Amino acid sequence: MTRFPARGAAFRAALISLVAACGLLAGCGAVKAPVYATPDYHSWKRTTDIVLDYPIPGHQDRFRIPRMNDVGFTVRPSMENGKPRWNFPEGTIIVKEVYQTTKPAAGEQPIQLTIMVKAPRDPHSQGGWLWITRDLPNGKEAVFMGNFCITCHANANEKQPYGDGNPTEEFRDYVYFVPGEGATGTSLRPPGRL
Amino acid sequence: MCYTARMQGRRSRWFSLTFKVDFLLIAALAIGIGAIMAAFAISLVGFRDQLTTQSLKRQGDDHFVAVETLMISGNAPEAVGYFSKVNLTSAATSITLYRRDGTRAFSDNSTIERVDRNLKKERFQLRDRPPQAAAPMPTPRFKEAAGLPPQELFFRDDQGFVFAGGTAYFRAYRPLINLPKCTVCHGADHTVRGVIDIRSDVTPVVKAQALTIAGAGAGFLAVVSVLVLIIGSFLRRVVLTPVQSIGRLCASVTAGDFSGKVAVRNNDEIGALALTVNTMVGGLHERFELTKYVSASTLDSLKESPEPKRVARTLVFTDVRGFTSYTEHHTPEQVVDVLNRLLEKQSAIIQDNGGDIDKFVGDAVVAVFSGADAPRSACSAALQIIRLCAGSPREFDGLAVGIGVSTGSVIHGMIGSARRADFTVIGDSVNVASRLCGIAKGMQIIVSDSTRETAGAGFLFKGPYSVKLKGKKEPARVWLLQSQSQEVSP
Repeated sequence: MTRFPARGAAFRAALISLVAACGLLAGCGAVKAPVYATPDYHSWKRTTDIVLDYPIPGHQDRFRIPRMNDVGFTVRPSMENGKPRWNFPEGTIIVKEVYQTTKPAAGEQPIQLTIMVKAPRDPHSQGGWLWITRDLPNGKEAVFMGNFCITCHANANEKQPYGDGNPTEEFRDYVYFVPGEGATGTSLRPPGRL
Repeated sequence: MCYTARMQGRRSRWFSLTFKVDFLLIAALAIGIGAIMAAFAISLVGFRDQLTTQSLKRQGDDHFVAVETLMISGNAPEAVGYFSKVNLTSAATSITLYRRDGTRAFSDNSTIERVDRNLKKERFQLRDRPPQAAAPMPTPRFKEAAGLPPQELFFRDDQGFVFAGGTAYFRAYRPLINLPKCTVCHGADHTVRGVIDIRSDVTPVVKAQALTIAGAGAGFLAVVSVLVLIIGSFLRRVVLTPVQSIGRLCASVTAGDFSGKVAVRNNDEIGALALTVNTMVGGLHERFELTKYVSASTLDSLKESPEPKRVARTLVFTDVRGFTSYTEHHTPEQVVDVLNRLLEKQSAIIQDNGGDIDKFVGDAVVAVFSGADAPRSACSAALQIIRLCAGSPREFDGLAVGIGVSTGSVIHGMIGSARRADFTVIGDSVNVASRLCGIAKGMQIIVSDSTRETAGAGFLFKGPYSVKLKGKKEPARVWLLQSQSQEVSP
């Protein structure tokens, strides 16, 4: 059977060039995923002084420590229909450390990080937040695409059994512990509420 | 060897032009139209699936809100009634609420007992549970929906082939999350309270999709077939058939048959090609016919080189004796008839002996023999001509020829003008042969001394004779060729 080595070589060269170009373009186009729970998140202030060792749906009876960056602590509630309304500023990051047991030993590392990032312009945001989990073994963070997280956190805007229980059902922007009562930050509750 | 056979010899695999065109046509149409049809069918099926999924999602949302509302207020009986009414409303859709362990909700009092236990008071009264209609059992995917994290699932759950009496279901599993506000009654030790299972009979949709795909496929086949027939017929009529006719004509011409012609049907490039080929074949035919009037050596020289060159040749001149007198006493038709007969026979003898007719000059023949055996061949031919005349005197009306043969160096080349030229020989040997022919009497063959010396054994010569030739100062030594022994006859 007659072969055309010159033509075959040219074809192979073109194919290799195409693959290389595609690889180059893919490499250039790949955007490195941001890491929200930066190494200094341990220094962020806790959102509450309450010891979160009681069981809750989604995290069972695992010990939890939520921390928030300084941007989040600049939040100021507005008044709407006589009730405070909380809208955390864009860039707020809340990192919740989840431990294996109810009473972790000193120095024990969390088994999971769940992260809320206020990014209302992100197409993947739900309720204005990105709901993220970090895979601790490889350190990669991934946006949670289901609605499981926001479904539970929507309860923060209603009466619920945690913290002060939000008895007046003020909008708390899906955050259970807003700066104020029970939190480490200065109470920012407007005078009318108290 | 015919054209096709030669082409088969050149290529390892032979595919006719018709096959290639048909293949290309079918492939192009199949790929092009197939892609469109496939895209159409896929988009249609996908659109229907999307509509069904959206509808089920909406139903799931509605039922979720309803169940949540009823549960929060502690109205489980109303929730049971709600599900029953929904299932009665539409025969094609069924809704079932399962606990997270896969058992059917409201089928017993376990939930009431658990709530009362969590509230540490008898918040709800235990009820007598009426027997409930059999509900479809959760599929293996139920665990995905009720697991962590809980997932909303939308999937096909076919039971048999729809065209064989089976049913196709589109199913949605919508997890019922144990929200913090629910934990007061239901406890906080679990994340998923249950799963709402919405099962929709989509058999008519699936059938419609299958019919759509089948229709698209049938349409695709019909369109491709019709287009292949139309375009293929057009290409065959306009391109393939004329090209094949041209190929057959070329093969015939190669085999020596110039009688064929290509039919010129269209006034286009193919028609122009056919016309050109016809003209070319006509020209080839004319040239082929003209070669009959040109000596073979002339043709050979034209093939090799038209440049003049000096070569060794044996010249044979024959001339009819008493021909002038013969012409005076016979009609032109008789003269031409007997002369052509005589010249034809001489030509055949000369060519049979490897000679070449250089020219006819009236009743004379000038023949040239080349090669190492040229003198022997020339002598043999001369003797055969004499025997011909002697053996058939009535055929040639008693006419006899005299022959002169000479061997020597001659110049072979194009002699003449730019308008008319002959490829012929000139030189002393030519003149000698002509002079010898001139002095030969009827039935005599006079050969030069050089011819006798190179003719080899087997010939009987008489002589030598010394003759004075015109233009020669010295008398020439010549011989009379008389016969040839049988063993050396060609």
